[in-house]
Amino acid sequence: MAATASLKSSLLLPSPISDFSGAAVSISAQKRRSSWQPRGARVQVSAAADSKNILVMGGTRFIGVFLSRILVKEGHQVTLFTRGKAPITQQLPGESDAEHAEFSSKVQHLKGDRQDFEFVKSSLAARGYDVVYDINGREAVEVEPIIDALPNLEQYIYCSSAGVYLKSDILPHCEVDAVDPKSRHKGKLETEKLLTSRGVNWTSIRPVYIYGPLNYNPVEEWFFHRLKAGRPIPIPGAGNQITQLGHVKDLARAFNLVLGNPKASQQIFNISGAKYVTFDGLARACAKAGGFPEPELVHYNPKDFDFGKKKAFPFRDQHFFASVEKAISELGWTPEFDLVEGLTDSYNLDFGRGTFRKAADFTTDDMILDKKLATV
Amino acid sequence: MALCAAAASTATAFASSSLSASTARPRGPSSTSLPSFVGAFPRAVAARRRRRAAAPAAARRAGVTVRAEAKKKSVVIVSTNSGGHAVIGFYFAKELLGAGHAVTVLTVGDEGSDKMKKPPFSRFSELTSAGGKTVWGDPADVGAAVGGAAFDVVLDNNGKDLDAVKPVADWAKTAGVGQFLFISSAGIYKPTEEPPHVEGDAVKESAGHVGVEKYIAEQFGSWASFRPQYMIGSGNNKDCEEWFFDRIVRNRPVPIPGNGMQLTNIAHVRDLSRMLSLAVEKPGAASGKVFNCVSDRAVTLSGMAKLCAAAAGVAAVDIVLYDPAAAGVDAKKAFPFRNMHFYAEPRAAKEALGWTSSTNLPEDLKERYAEYAASGRGEKAMTFDLDDKILASVGKAPASVAV
Repeated sequence: MAATASLKSSLLLPSPISDFSGAAVSISAQKRRSSWQPRGARVQVSAAADSKNILVMGGTRFIGVFLSRILVKEGHQVTLFTRGKAPITQQLPGESDAEHAEFSSKVQHLKGDRQDFEFVKSSLAARGYDVVYDINGREAVEVEPIIDALPNLEQYIYCSSAGVYLKSDILPHCEVDAVDPKSRHKGKLETEKLLTSRGVNWTSIRPVYIYGPLNYNPVEEWFFHRLKAGRPIPIPGAGNQITQLGHVKDLARAFNLVLGNPKASQQIFNISGAKYVTFDGLARACAKAGGFPEPELVHYNPKDFDFGKKKAFPFRDQHFFASVEKAISELGWTPEFDLVEGLTDSYNLDFGRGTFRKAADFTTDDMILDKKLATV
Repeated sequence: MALCAAAASTATAFASSSLSASTARPRGPSSTSLPSFVGAFPRAVAARRRRRAAAPAAARRAGVTVRAEAKKKSVVIVSTNSGGHAVIGFYFAKELLGAGHAVTVLTVGDEGSDKMKKPPFSRFSELTSAGGKTVWGDPADVGAAVGGAAFDVVLDNNGKDLDAVKPVADWAKTAGVGQFLFISSAGIYKPTEEPPHVEGDAVKESAGHVGVEKYIAEQFGSWASFRPQYMIGSGNNKDCEEWFFDRIVRNRPVPIPGNGMQLTNIAHVRDLSRMLSLAVEKPGAASGKVFNCVSDRAVTLSGMAKLCAAAAGVAAVDIVLYDPAAAGVDAKKAFPFRNMHFYAEPRAAKEALGWTSSTNLPEDLKERYAEYAASGRGEKAMTFDLDDKILASVGKAPASVAV
């Protein structure tokens, strides 16, 4: 335990190499502990046994909904910083009344707009937090007031994105690979740089496509709408483009595993599913998950169409997947959901119950199908 | 930042390895439980220390290194006399010899056959000058070819089915061989829409290699099977990157079936050799396991063409995509890689053996191109009948793709 205490203090700031030898005791202990767990065991021993005062930027929409529950169950004090547009807590499908009441009674809310940097700085400084989970940050400027307000912050855990990786013919994307300074996710890169330059103990998580119940990005929902309507599924190109989905619950568990974890200090981890999937394969997996018959897939050349501002397909038209090997070997994390299991979980707890975020819009589908008919 | 992270993780690696040594017993090879002959193999010990320092944390978590495995072993490699896998045995033999083990390579057929004029066989003097034995014979009677000496390890790098491997396995069992290793193939995996192929995924039960894997699992307490895909490396018996260089240096278009986005895995053969060597060094960790014997990155077919062009110092490559059926060609004859995603990942080797991939296609292809250019192959007259048929079927002039 003394070793753990010295470990904590050595994690406050990036240490010269020699300080890491003090961390080796805890690392070895952690490795021995995690080697007792069978792979895929649902009990996760987190490195930080003591309760933290945690601030979650966001937390009421998707990732944070699941993460905050884990953190509360682990015994931490959790505050969600949101504008209050969405309910602070909502009973999840499958969550019992008792569980929901328990969570609601414990989780706290700090109402505010994170774009109001002065308010962020003063309200956080007044309260003080041990750890920040930044789930919805996009630009480095949003993060500055948080760091300024919390000089004794133990860890800044950031939700970045695998979208920062430079497109490549050599895959999967690994954490050491080149990033694209021009990507539309460059704000995430700038945030990672800021955290490093300010000497904060940071951890960055790069998910690929996230899915699961409550998803507000129409990933699986896009397929489910078409499957339910009995419509063919239009897929750009050959449908052999490879993508990757990661279940939100596995992502939340990964976020929890990096908390107070010396192996996560100043580290980046890709978090997503253990396997990748082709576009065609994903359409079929969604059908299996919802108990639909095998769908008709219609392939088209996107260059033949002008869809205007509408998105005809929810994924980037390219290969896009990342290796999660580093997280598996360094954090003892494993994704528990395989693709069909995870999509089934999403279907059973969300779309299959009649809930979804975006109404079905088949405008682009009809453009594609009409043209296909015309050329037959 | 990256430097800091890398330095930190190296520091952690050194810290935890020295910590475990000091809690167990005082440091230094002479004071460990190692028998005294460890000091007699300084190269092997130094090589092991370098590998342990480089191995990721997971390697040490996965298995305690039993220092007795540094002992010198006697290995028989039964080698095919042709084909893409021949080079594996060549590199493996060299690596074993470099680590101080005794190696006998039994190549199928006759020493005097024309097949022996091609690499890697034409370079077998590199094995014999390093202390290896090279013999020729029939895998149906290994004993006749290698004699009655005792061997610790056998690698069958020849058979594709039980007809070819059973006699080797049976001889090994009778001869008391401790560890049986087999070069199988990642081609036995059932096609999937959820790549990559990982160890444990369904295989085609009718595949010859599957029958072999089942048999050796029954016969040997210590066995391992290695499933490779494609490889590059000096001494290769079969063309790989050369197919692209042949076209690039002659300013010819590179015809690729489908949309060119099919993923494949092309490893430098030194990675395969490394994996096999680790299995010999850590038989307990390797025992009873199947290993995808590939690099840890996939490359698209178009990507491979672009990388070859870049390695050849060419600014752009003309990639012509085509439908084999429409062009009236058999894609297997027209193109050297499978016309589909064919992508396995080496997850078991990383987890169980602490193996890491060193293949770096952009760099490795430069070295390959240098050898290609020096060989004069680029100046030889070559016909491209299938290419011409494809280009004619496509009709229009191919566009340059910037590398």
